[in-house]
Amino acid sequence: MYRKQIRRRRSILVALIIASLVLLSAHFSEAESGPLHAIQRGVATVLSPLESVASQALKPARDLVDWVDETFEARGENDQLRDDLAEARRELAQAQDAVGQNEQLRAMLSIGEKIDLAGFTPAYKPVTARIINRSPSVITATIGVNAGSGDGVEVDDPVISGDGLVGRVTEVTQSISQVQLITDPRNAVSARAMPEGPQGIVEPVAGDPDDLRLDFITNEQQVEEGQMLVTAGWSNGELSSAYPYGIPIGEVTETTLGEQDFQRVTVRPFADMRELQYVQLLTGGPERPGVRG
Amino acid sequence: MIVTWQIGLRLTAIVLVAVLVQISFLSYISILGATPDLLPVVIAVLGLLGGAVTGAVAGFATGLLVDSLLLQTLGVSSLVLLSVGYLAGRYREQFEIESLLAPALLAGALTMLATAGFVGLQLMLGVDATVSLLIVREIVVKGLLGFLMAFPLYPLLRLALRPALVLEEPPTRRRIFRNRRPARRRRVRRASAQGGVA
Repeated sequence: MYRKQIRRRRSILVALIIASLVLLSAHFSEAESGPLHAIQRGVATVLSPLESVASQALKPARDLVDWVDETFEARGENDQLRDDLAEARRELAQAQDAVGQNEQLRAMLSIGEKIDLAGFTPAYKPVTARIINRSPSVITATIGVNAGSGDGVEVDDPVISGDGLVGRVTEVTQSISQVQLITDPRNAVSARAMPEGPQGIVEPVAGDPDDLRLDFITNEQQVEEGQMLVTAGWSNGELSSAYPYGIPIGEVTETTLGEQDFQRVTVRPFADMRELQYVQLLTGGPERPGVRG
Repeated sequence: MIVTWQIGLRLTAIVLVAVLVQISFLSYISILGATPDLLPVVIAVLGLLGGAVTGAVAGFATGLLVDSLLLQTLGVSSLVLLSVGYLAGRYREQFEIESLLAPALLAGALTMLATAGFVGLQLMLGVDATVSLLIVREIVVKGLLGFLMAFPLYPLLRLALRPALVLEEPPTRRRIFRNRRPARRRRVRRASAQGGVA
């Protein structure tokens, strides 16, 4: 009897391990249009209303945690903010005209229109979406949003928040999409330091959601702390970046000369990935060779 | 554990609630630079309460659900969580659980194992990440958070699944009475055989 139980237990374990490995390899190797992906999208679509309800229901709890977190952070930042405020007041006096114009422009233009002004035809159509889930993984960083192919979302659409670049769409169902954040190691963004700085690749540091790294900047190239990075939006005719030119990514917080001709440039993203509630998915836009099939 | 359809429903509800709480709430929180991971803890507790088979099956199903909802590669979370459930179940089958510390320690250790396993599988699947001490720190912190979460979760889930737990079936008055009667009869028989009064 006992041996029979052991045999049963072992056979169940082996069956489950084999099922997992088969699923893993089949899902990993099949195309996006494959049957496993279709089933997965179906399950995600069916359960997405439940996710939305859970996300809404748990929002007060998230807000409470954020409030506690921000209270502790605010105490530490208080001194720093006092210094910043004094400097900001001096700068404010010099730049009131510019600020006034800027505010008017901001009021008139949405981010999508701004990107269109940068010279893209047809213009991107921003679709605003709420975040409904988030991956708990240590390495990968993805979020789920409640907009899908029914809203015109496609794979590789850039995703932004009010602060700057958030990531790009990697999976789409009828009603939800998965967004790979710029803090996910599978994501790399070609970036340019502003106003006229060098171009490099922004990549995440695994396990550190707060910082990014700007790679391929030689020791001779000039990058300074506080310099802003925007998406480079390159294209060579056959291949192109998934992101259009000019989306703010973050600012340089530290630069150190490296031993192998390349600098180590640390970047703090403008968008706070943990505080995101809503994002905009830039749908449509110009044809980008090598990005969409 | 005796898994009737009612208990099956309870297990399904537990798994569903745990997955929703994880992806809609806990994944947004950062404590000491790490996100609390409820799922390995819940699966470890289910393994401790239900044994290796229950733990492995619950882990597999939970992993499949998470991977589907997050549109991740199917099978990764299943493989990790079924290992957690099976190991916790095997522990329960080998050792007596006498205090709350043992489940908490086991849940913490298995959370660390699950996180490391997930990282390993992701790296094998081609996620090109620099493995730094930050990841090790996050794995350790997740383990610590798992240890802490197990303290309320173990009694809570034991309460929810109590009707299915063979060893913890509450004694009823009838069973107590039925158990006592033969002993009393034996005493009476022994006393009358010796010629005395019971």
